Amino acid sequence: MPFDPAFIVDWGSASLRLAAPLVLAAIGGVYAERSGVFNIGIEGMMLIGAFTAVAVSYYLAGVDIAIAAALAAITAMLAGGATALVHAYLSITRGVDQIISGAAINILALGLTNTLYRAVWGEVGRERVAGFPEVRIPVLADIPIVGPILFDQSVVVFAAFVLPIVAAFVLFRTTWGLNIRAAGDFPAAVDTAGLSVEKTRYAAVLFSGLMAGLAGAALALGAVRYFTPGMTAGRGFIVLGAIVFGRWNPMLAAVACLLFGAADAFQLRAQALDLGLPYQFFVMLPYLLAVLAIAGAIGRTRAPQQLGIPYRREAT
Amino acid sequence: MRAPILVPIRAAVRPIAYRAIVPLVSIAAALAVSAVIIVIVGASPLEAYGAMLRGAVGGIGSLATTAVRATPLLLTGLAVALSFRAGIFNIGAEGQLYAGAALSAAVALLPLDLPAIVHVPLTLAAGFLGGALWALVPGWLRAYRGVSEVVTTLMLNFVGIQLVAYLVDPIDGPMGERGASYAQSQVIAESAELPILIRGTSLHAGLLIGLGLAVGLFVLIKYTPLGFRLRMLGGNPVAARFAGLSEKREILVVMLLSGGIAGLAGAAEVMGLRHRLYDRFSPGYGYDGIAVALLAGSNPLAVILSATFFGGLRAGANAMQQSTGIETSVVLIIQALTILFVILGPLRGWARARAARSSESVEASASAV
Repeated sequence: MPFDPAFIVDWGSASLRLAAPLVLAAIGGVYAERSGVFNIGIEGMMLIGAFTAVAVSYYLAGVDIAIAAALAAITAMLAGGATALVHAYLSITRGVDQIISGAAINILALGLTNTLYRAVWGEVGRERVAGFPEVRIPVLADIPIVGPILFDQSVVVFAAFVLPIVAAFVLFRTTWGLNIRAAGDFPAAVDTAGLSVEKTRYAAVLFSGLMAGLAGAALALGAVRYFTPGMTAGRGFIVLGAIVFGRWNPMLAAVACLLFGAADAFQLRAQALDLGLPYQFFVMLPYLLAVLAIAGAIGRTRAPQQLGIPYRREAT
Repeated sequence: MRAPILVPIRAAVRPIAYRAIVPLVSIAAALAVSAVIIVIVGASPLEAYGAMLRGAVGGIGSLATTAVRATPLLLTGLAVALSFRAGIFNIGAEGQLYAGAALSAAVALLPLDLPAIVHVPLTLAAGFLGGALWALVPGWLRAYRGVSEVVTTLMLNFVGIQLVAYLVDPIDGPMGERGASYAQSQVIAESAELPILIRGTSLHAGLLIGLGLAVGLFVLIKYTPLGFRLRMLGGNPVAARFAGLSEKREILVVMLLSGGIAGLAGAAEVMGLRHRLYDRFSPGYGYDGIAVALLAGSNPLAVILSATFFGGLRAGANAMQQSTGIETSVVLIIQALTILFVILGPLRGWARARAARSSESVEASASAV
């Protein structure tokens, strides 16, 4: 039954679990776009992160779970970051169209992970590995309904609570953040100030790759603990919608991700509920919501002015 | 040696040759890098590529398979290329393909008892309409509300796939075959089938539709007022605005055309090859269309060649998997690397300069993408 406490706890806690990877990726995406670089390769970077995390955890079977999880997360981030450098080189240094570069990276990621998946796990197929540890915060977790939803979760969910706040602080209250925003809105000013637009954008894109890699690890090791080909299933694209909906603000984007996470979690439960609508419509829900969100968000908001445009000193 | 008659021919061929250098070198580089991956996976690249080549061009059957695989790629490639020329990123061809397939299947399933000469065009029109409808919302949002089409078209891909999944659901889908083990529709009416071109193969007339459209779009882009406005939009939107172009209408028209062509890809698959609407019948033809368009430099005639190449890769991949056990997804790696090398190519600037120098008419829009 919907709206009984058990359902709400189950749905709420699944919403957070599904939203957490989106939140992590969205934080990175906000930084990249704020610096002026559109990164639709987040989808592929998440996929590579997910694969790397599961593969590392698989080969570290027997090692202490916390250490294995940490190593898996770090290597996933590095893999995502390395992929992001390809995007950065193409779009920043070579001035290639950012959508095309990102699209190529997504195809490459899908091909690579599918091919390597067979090489690592062979015909056996997916195998469960050690995941990220669950944390239960003593007293708080005992609060009815809210407790188990908020305070009995994977470490990833706690990271997704804290990081948007940190990211927003850095972006809006520090010089680093100012440089990143300026690189996206008025790069000539960054240039005039004696700073490098290129380096600032590289850093932001690299950061988005690291976060997307971590998001992939969170997706794979936070819940299912195995890898399936193409398992990101468009989540990286939904993140792009959340960024627009969240007006390029890490905290608002996180809220948008939570909304998408809740829709996703509901979709998974709708089949069992028999709500009179075919379940496929619930599967569509997060994607439709993203379109509506973007359509509705425009007009009230403004994208970084130089988003998608390579900076060339001569041109300004 | 220099027969004067050869000079004009040489002048015409040279720029084309220079333009072909970048794609060819990119393909070679992509195959070389993918060979390393094949070694890592534990197979012999020579054996793998050999099997792939036999599967793609070894005999009439293989050639037909290549053409069959190339057909949807040709259509989605044209859809994407058209949008690229106008500076629009329609990366929703996958969803438009599903929408086109769904609507065409709906018309093809009608027990209308029509002659094929009526039923086939009607079904194709439905396919075009379905794809165009799917592109309508992102197109309208982009044209009239300034909403980037990138994310909206992408999102609708997933919606389109789910829509077809619902339509052919064996339990409650309105078009689903009840009790079938796979989510699929009934077999379409024979009068809505596209004819087979070579008996004994599955090569169907969808290929001719694609080839005709390629020529048609080439003419449209190069020689018509609409094409001129469209190139202007892609090449120099500011100038287009100064010239008094109603940018908005052009954007919407391009999106609808692009979506419609992608819808035809879905219709051709249903009417020519599968004769049913299947759940998840496309292995990503819509996304492949991006690679096809890019490799072709968004030139509709060159799209024919690049679709053939990628179709051959797809056809060869199955043969490769059977004989070496390597995942067919190696094709995706080759495809992605080809795009990356095309857009990266240090050769690109050089080749474009040479092509421009050797042909008097510089086509400004060659650099649209």
